[in-house]
Amino acid sequence: MTLDSTNPARQIAVAIVDDETLVRVSLRRLCNAFGLSATAYGSGREFLDSLESDQPQPDCLLLDIQMPEMTGLELQRHLTSRGVRVPTIVVTADDAPEARARCMAAGAVDYLRKPIGADELLAAIERAVCDANRRQSLTPPRGEVETR
Amino acid sequence: MSEARAQAQTTTVDADLLPFATGMLFFIPIAFVGNELGVLLRYPQIGAAVLYPPYAALTAALVASHRRHWIWYILAAVGVHTATNLAHWPFSWVVLADLANTARAIVAAVALRAFFGGPPKLDSIPELVLFCLAAVFVAPAVGATIGATNPMIHDVSPSYWRSWSSWFMSSALTALTMLPMFLSAVRNGSNWQSMVIDRRRMVEGLALAAALAVTCTIAFLLRITSRWDLALLGYGPLPLLFWAALRFGPGGASVALTVVALAAILGADRGTGPFLSLSTDDTVLALQLVLLLTALPVLCIAAVGGARHGAVQLYHALLASLQDHVAIVDARGMVLEVNESWRRFADAGHPCPFDRVRTGDDYLAAAREAVSILKKAGKAEADITAARALGGIQSVLSGEQKRFEMEYEQISDTRPEWYTMRVEALERPDGGAVVTRANVSARRRAQLEIEEQRRELSHLARVGVLGQLSGALAHELSQPLSSILSNAEAARHLLKRERVDQVELRAILQDIVTEDRRASQVIAGLRAMLKRGETRVQPVDTVELVRETLELAHAELITRGVGATSYVEPELPPVLADRVQVQQVLLNLILNACEAMSEAASDDRRLHFSATQTETGDVRFSIRDGGNGFPPELIERLFEPFVTTKAEGLGLGLSIARAIVAAHGGRIWAENNLGRGATVHCVLSATSAGAVAEMRLRDEAAPSSDSSWSAVGALGAVAEPAFSPSGARRRNSPIPRP
Repeated sequence: MTLDSTNPARQIAVAIVDDETLVRVSLRRLCNAFGLSATAYGSGREFLDSLESDQPQPDCLLLDIQMPEMTGLELQRHLTSRGVRVPTIVVTADDAPEARARCMAAGAVDYLRKPIGADELLAAIERAVCDANRRQSLTPPRGEVETR
Repeated sequence: MSEARAQAQTTTVDADLLPFATGMLFFIPIAFVGNELGVLLRYPQIGAAVLYPPYAALTAALVASHRRHWIWYILAAVGVHTATNLAHWPFSWVVLADLANTARAIVAAVALRAFFGGPPKLDSIPELVLFCLAAVFVAPAVGATIGATNPMIHDVSPSYWRSWSSWFMSSALTALTMLPMFLSAVRNGSNWQSMVIDRRRMVEGLALAAALAVTCTIAFLLRITSRWDLALLGYGPLPLLFWAALRFGPGGASVALTVVALAAILGADRGTGPFLSLSTDDTVLALQLVLLLTALPVLCIAAVGGARHGAVQLYHALLASLQDHVAIVDARGMVLEVNESWRRFADAGHPCPFDRVRTGDDYLAAAREAVSILKKAGKAEADITAARALGGIQSVLSGEQKRFEMEYEQISDTRPEWYTMRVEALERPDGGAVVTRANVSARRRAQLEIEEQRRELSHLARVGVLGQLSGALAHELSQPLSSILSNAEAARHLLKRERVDQVELRAILQDIVTEDRRASQVIAGLRAMLKRGETRVQPVDTVELVRETLELAHAELITRGVGATSYVEPELPPVLADRVQVQQVLLNLILNACEAMSEAASDDRRLHFSATQTETGDVRFSIRDGGNGFPPELIERLFEPFVTTKAEGLGLGLSIARAIVAAHGGRIWAENNLGRGATVHCVLSATSAGAVAEMRLRDEAAPSSDSSWSAVGALGAVAEPAFSPSGARRRNSPIPRP
């Protein structure tokens, strides 16, 4: 399985949570263009609701930190407390030096600072998904990521 | 007594000794001559003279000298009197007369010192009345009461009353004619060293003396040939007495009166002049009555003249002492008088006729000329200033308003000078006005300097606020950049496909354009805040102001997890403000509120930003937070410099905010909420439709001027050329959210 849509193998499902519509849409477009299946959510609450419905759990979560109501970190804590084990990549415009450590401590697997190039993003997703699969240990990775 | 005090007393005695010795040196010969004159013409039986000069001399000496010297003057007077009169009268008669003379002089001196504290000037009618009461009525009455007993004791006169009236008339006449002269002499004698001798006055005095000598000689010392001579000669000296009174005051009038009186006495004694009757008693009485009735009006004229002279002197001294340039104009605008400062300014060779006006010129005509010259020269601003000045002067002179004031700038070759011109109506039937011009450049320059410093400080504070926001602003810029990058990369990848999705590509490009614009607006907003620009006061839309400020704070609010709500009352008028500076204040308040809520639970982290209209029609901005509120002991002092509730902070933010709001003529204050947190209110003046129209008008009138707040404050104007149609369009775009 690759990240390209041309590959008939099973697509990697990415969830995007960002309060900024245009940012959210652009990330989804990018993921789609590279053959990933992507679903965008405008808030942490929306994402949590989707988990409660019957929708399948995504392979990876692209999460913005600075959001009103529920911040990214708060969502991450929610997920951890509920035992939802989605590898989370923080995608943020926050340039505070301590932010990265805070996010990693909260359980994120990667931390990307906006603006993010396609290569960087796809590499991070691949890494996160592979690591998650490896951590699930006994089963081999469900797919391999091809970056173009 | 200590040595020092003994020394001091010796010094005082020494200091008094010289004037006393000088006084005696003059007093004894005068007393001697006076007694001889008294012997010259007198009531033969009663012994009272027509005029008794020693009364005037002793009274003046006592009024002017220290009390401990009185005894010496009295002894000298008694000695001279006794010596000169023993030849004519028995000893007991002379002694009683001495007693009467002394009592009279003491009463007069004590009363004059009580009324005037020393020798009076007699340059006002009230002063003259008091002088007459003391020296012309009471003291002569006392002297007469004692002296009139003399003929009775010595059994020479049939009537006490007759004797009393003779004594009284003699003393009263002496007081009216000679005493003012002696008082003037002792007044001026003490400071004769500092007296300035005016050559023209001396010539005038000599001319008067010569005229008086000739007139008195003709009137009193030549033989009468016809009846009409009598009338002519009796009134001959009057014009000269008036001359003396008006030009030389009470002292001069008194000298002239003394000369006339002595000439008349001498004439009567020689049997010449108008005073010739069958009996000596009648001659003496006639002489006394004429002199008394002449002296009174002459002294009155001298007093009125003296009062007028004093008033004029004071008026000139007052004008000369004023540093400001002062001109007095009549109701037609003719300059009646200018002071020295005005004269110097007018002589400085200013190009504008308005600045060269001198006494006798037509001020209104000069102002009109200035307006037309400046108009021709194309100096729009100066010409408007001159027209305003002209209008102001005219309105005061016509009685439309009581005062007019304006401040204006005068461009010279070197540097600009600022003046204030005040026109104040004169409260008098003839109207007119006082024009005062003062150079206020120093104050103005200081004001400009303060304004510059304030601007600098507020700029620094603004940079500081942006520094606080830097993280949030980076976020604000990163968002569109991120979106653009993702979209562009997606598009590039899509283009590799065989079948390109045109619709998707178009949507991507549209989003890129939108996000790029948003990034530019963020930068434009930053630039506006960072710019160290001129203050531009103009009507600012309240809704926009609230929205833009919240947008600027958006990222910070998000970062801190603060939920913000806002409310703007419908149909709120625009506020008159510098957009960037007011945004700075409001942003500062929002950031403070966010910081105050940093420890609060997420449900309490709520900020409410509202704009409402006050009862007076102004606009109140209120920022309410859910933090811990201000410590009550600090709430009154929050806006003072270096007062802070933060652990790390200089405490300058709110004091600068207050300075900015105050410069806008507004108010800012804080209060703790009933529940959680605090609210900071800031009131700014609303713009009425009238004010906007006026600004437009002024704008058109002075298109090139660029006034700042200080000018606004000083001139009471709200003119802001920034409010031109182009200026209104040029918005300092903050960060709008798509």
